[in-house]
Amino acid sequence: MIDYLRLSQLDDVLEMLWAEGPGILMLAGGTDILVRPQPFAGARILLDISRVEQLRDIAVDPADDCLVIGAAATHEEVAWHPQVSRRAQLLAQACRLVGSAQIRNLGTLGGNLGNASPAADSVPALACLDAEVVLSGRNKQRRLPVLEFFTGPGSSVRQPDEVISSLRLPRQRGRQVSFFLKAGQRRGMCCSKASVAFRARSHSDGRLSGVRVALGAVAPTVVRVPEAEQVLEGRRIEPRLIDEAAAACSRAARPIDDIRSTAEYRKAVVGALLTDGLFRLGDKMKQRRRPRRRRPR
Amino acid sequence: MKVDVQLTINGQPAQFRVEPTERLVDTLRERAGLTGTKEGCGVGECGACSVLLDGKLVSSCLVLTVAAHGCRVDTVEGLARDGRLNDLQRAFIEEGAVQCGYCTPGMLMAAEYLLGRYARPTTEQIRQAISGNLCRCTGYRKIVSAIRKTARQRAARRTGR
Repeated sequence: MIDYLRLSQLDDVLEMLWAEGPGILMLAGGTDILVRPQPFAGARILLDISRVEQLRDIAVDPADDCLVIGAAATHEEVAWHPQVSRRAQLLAQACRLVGSAQIRNLGTLGGNLGNASPAADSVPALACLDAEVVLSGRNKQRRLPVLEFFTGPGSSVRQPDEVISSLRLPRQRGRQVSFFLKAGQRRGMCCSKASVAFRARSHSDGRLSGVRVALGAVAPTVVRVPEAEQVLEGRRIEPRLIDEAAAACSRAARPIDDIRSTAEYRKAVVGALLTDGLFRLGDKMKQRRRPRRRRPR
Repeated sequence: MKVDVQLTINGQPAQFRVEPTERLVDTLRERAGLTGTKEGCGVGECGACSVLLDGKLVSSCLVLTVAAHGCRVDTVEGLARDGRLNDLQRAFIEEGAVQCGYCTPGMLMAAEYLLGRYARPTTEQIRQAISGNLCRCTGYRKIVSAIRKTARQRAARRTGR
């Protein structure tokens, strides 16, 4: 038998976690919990944190100009929030591709992290945006780069007395270009077989800097691909470099065979996704550099 | 430990005493007798159990009833008024958008959710809006045209033409 408790204050949640930590199952959107074969196994208390307002806020922190996204904000709330669209377009794009509207209206950004699936769509985007995870406990708080949060499929560094309270996204300087692409069974409502997130600053001469490439669903956790990033750093997008970067992605992938796909396919498709995204981005940037000439009358 | 839960289902207040693990789809079907909402896959993939929770489209197989306490729940039974189907439901019939009918309640709720947010949705937006709902009979075309037709009719009624 499990007890249910709904709290509305973050302090009360932290107190509860401190007192009962290991026996607590936290419920936010519930979309990953309710699909498990034994959703509540091992838990004594179901702690509903979905209505803690402090965990739902999305706002810019004036102290360091970071965009702070409450962990209990839903994918749909994140995807359409004006500040997110303005400052973290890549995250908005990834959140729009999570599941279906039915899932996005329930599932939360913090839950997407806490569940620690290597296929979580928000994570490659957050990694490319240099996001930090904030873990809060009674009288303690720590921040860590998003990828350091994960230790393997379904496991993380979160302690039983901690809650993921927010994500902090630093302000990016200059004109940003980015994309998130995923391959799955169908276009709507699918769990990624492989995904690629890309972000960089684009300069007026077409060169890229601060290049970030992250892959989802092709390794035990989401991974960055420094080799691919270095290929493109300080360069313009051109076919030879695209091939090199895509090959680096395929090499960096350590996928498994599972119900959704094979390792071989994942290795190939993750490179193809980057290729596809970079070609399209390259075309878009070229058009921007060469404004269309006005047609003679 | 059972928990008292209050909901407003299709505008009517309702109270239940449920286990924390009970899903909204079961409360609706087994306790409230509202069997219009269907359970298909039970894991949030098919959309057959879609309802509006405080106006937002959700899969009721992924919602715990206790977590919906104090919320408005709108199901397919709430669409008809005084025994008369609403315009969207009639359009589904007229366009032949119903075959076996199992996906229909979820499709209708997904369509109402779309039409509540976009007065003149594009075909792409309509397809997007029902992308979380599986239909194995119709091939979706007739469903899309029924939604498009309803959108047009509602827009025309609003502008008084």
